[in-house]
Amino acid sequence: MNKFIAIVGSNSNKSTNRELLKYMKKRFQSAAEIELVEIKNLPIYKKSADKYVPQEALDIAAKIEAADGVIIATPEYDHSIPAALSSALAWLSYGIHPFVDKPVMITGASYGSLGSSRAQAQLRQILDSPELKARIMPSSEFLLGHSLQAFDENGDLKDEKIIKQLDGLFQDFLDFVNISKQLNNANEVNKQKAKEFSWDKD
Amino acid sequence: MKLVGIAGSIADQSYNRTLLNFMSKHCEGVVDIEVLDINQVPMFSQDDDQTNSSVIQKLSNKIKSADGVIIATPEHNHTVPAALKNVIEWLSYEIHPFDGKPVMIVGASYHTQGSSRAQLHLRQILEAPGVNAVVLPGNEFLLGNVKTAFDENGDLKDQRTIDFLDTTLQKFIKFAKVINMIDADDYEKEDLSATGKTDTTVEGVDMDDPDWLNKAAEKVNAVEGDTYVKLDSGLLTVNQLNYMLKTTPIELTYVDENNQFIYYNRFLPTEKMLAKRTPDQVGDSLTAVHPGKERVIKHVKQVIHMLRSGKTDLVSMPVPGGDSDHHVMHYYKAMHDEEGSYKGVNEWAVDLKPIVNEYLKQTGQMLVPDPNAKVDATSGASKKPEASVDATASASKEETEEIKPEVDATSSASKH
Repeated sequence: MNKFIAIVGSNSNKSTNRELLKYMKKRFQSAAEIELVEIKNLPIYKKSADKYVPQEALDIAAKIEAADGVIIATPEYDHSIPAALSSALAWLSYGIHPFVDKPVMITGASYGSLGSSRAQAQLRQILDSPELKARIMPSSEFLLGHSLQAFDENGDLKDEKIIKQLDGLFQDFLDFVNISKQLNNANEVNKQKAKEFSWDKD
Repeated sequence: MKLVGIAGSIADQSYNRTLLNFMSKHCEGVVDIEVLDINQVPMFSQDDDQTNSSVIQKLSNKIKSADGVIIATPEHNHTVPAALKNVIEWLSYEIHPFDGKPVMIVGASYHTQGSSRAQLHLRQILEAPGVNAVVLPGNEFLLGNVKTAFDENGDLKDQRTIDFLDTTLQKFIKFAKVINMIDADDYEKEDLSATGKTDTTVEGVDMDDPDWLNKAAEKVNAVEGDTYVKLDSGLLTVNQLNYMLKTTPIELTYVDENNQFIYYNRFLPTEKMLAKRTPDQVGDSLTAVHPGKERVIKHVKQVIHMLRSGKTDLVSMPVPGGDSDHHVMHYYKAMHDEEGSYKGVNEWAVDLKPIVNEYLKQTGQMLVPDPNAKVDATSGASKKPEASVDATASASKEETEEIKPEVDATSSASKH
């Protein structure tokens, strides 16, 4: 069975993005093992001369390395992903490269009607950067708008149409992960390139 | 013009900070650019609202009182650094200092791209409703290959780059002026009736009550007499404070941030004062001390708005109608707390002429008219300043003359 790491993109105790990932973990338990990962204890990203990375980030990196894929649920703050998530991704690409060629599914929930659309668009660009170089599932937006009203008391999505869309996208992601496993001819080179790249290099 | 610069990086070594420092130095005399520090800003979290912390209040106050903001962003993972986004999240959550504020984006990076993608993300972020900044369109300033761009003094080496930066900045200064004009009549929102309240407003006592002082003092159990008060650079009793203030030969008035007149130093009887105040006025709202004087009210609003918004720290105005023996000046100085939040007006009135006379006498000099002077030197020769009860922050002698407040250009550049 595939194993996925699900990153909660919010550092808030009350997060419908966490709820969404919890729901996915439950709903798809027969198809994949999903482990939720929190970013809220990571400090804000800062470069240092000795390229120090906090242990907590190293632990998350190891989990991602070992996983078959990653699911990210992002809220939208000011038209983009939260600083906390941006900071986590910066740690997870600072001398370590767990995301290279890793299949990623992007989801997101928001209180308003847009469901984090702009944050997701930026997140795609970010995951495509040289030190992350994730393999993002294409053409697969999942935007959960009005997320406060979306779940029932058991934490299950209420709207059948939305459930159907999520089911379909998750099946696609499983296929995408399987196809990805056959597309690893350049993986070594890609990892090397990520290692050699630096935002600080001449 | 007063701008603040934010370097989007908290790295110890940041070329974006170098770029802002260069701009600040290079434009000295043309525009005042203060580079702000974002290193100590905690991680944004809805569960731990630190909006009222000193570091965030200071940033917010600096931005609010600036005519515009320059943000210099590096690019990391195709976006702005988390540290910069983090600051913007705090400044768009419970407070919104960027609202309507002109912003210019620049960026330096090690690569040829010069932070192009980060700048586009930043534009989107700044346009979000909670931020609502007004970003200068076009005029992208991307400084690539930054490692070789500066000399050892932190100056840009390439003259064409400097010229382009100058042009861009000139456009931004014009842009900021135009954008800030949109809020030019914001002064009308100044609430001179003091209907709001601050954390020091005494509630439950009618502001217009002639006995406000005693009633309000009782309400808050105010200390008096020989009780000690610890000041930031001294220890005095209330009596000692009074002795000193009452012998300070300048008429002092305290108007708090809620536009309530709460103190004057009464070193002269009312009839001898340059700006008349009476003990029963203490506690009044500014509307109450200017009954029915609409034009005066407008000027008061303009002056207070300038001080509150940080457009200037000091407004000074001559009282018209002085004669050869008197030149009465009113000064209005903004007061701020440690974080830079507006705390009210320190107003003082002083007759400069006796001071000038003293100086002339001591140095054996005399005044002669300046043939090149632009002021109308003779107009004031008719009569003494009128004895109107014109308490606190009034901008004209009576409603007859309209005086434009003179903003003290040198004080506006000061840092508080």
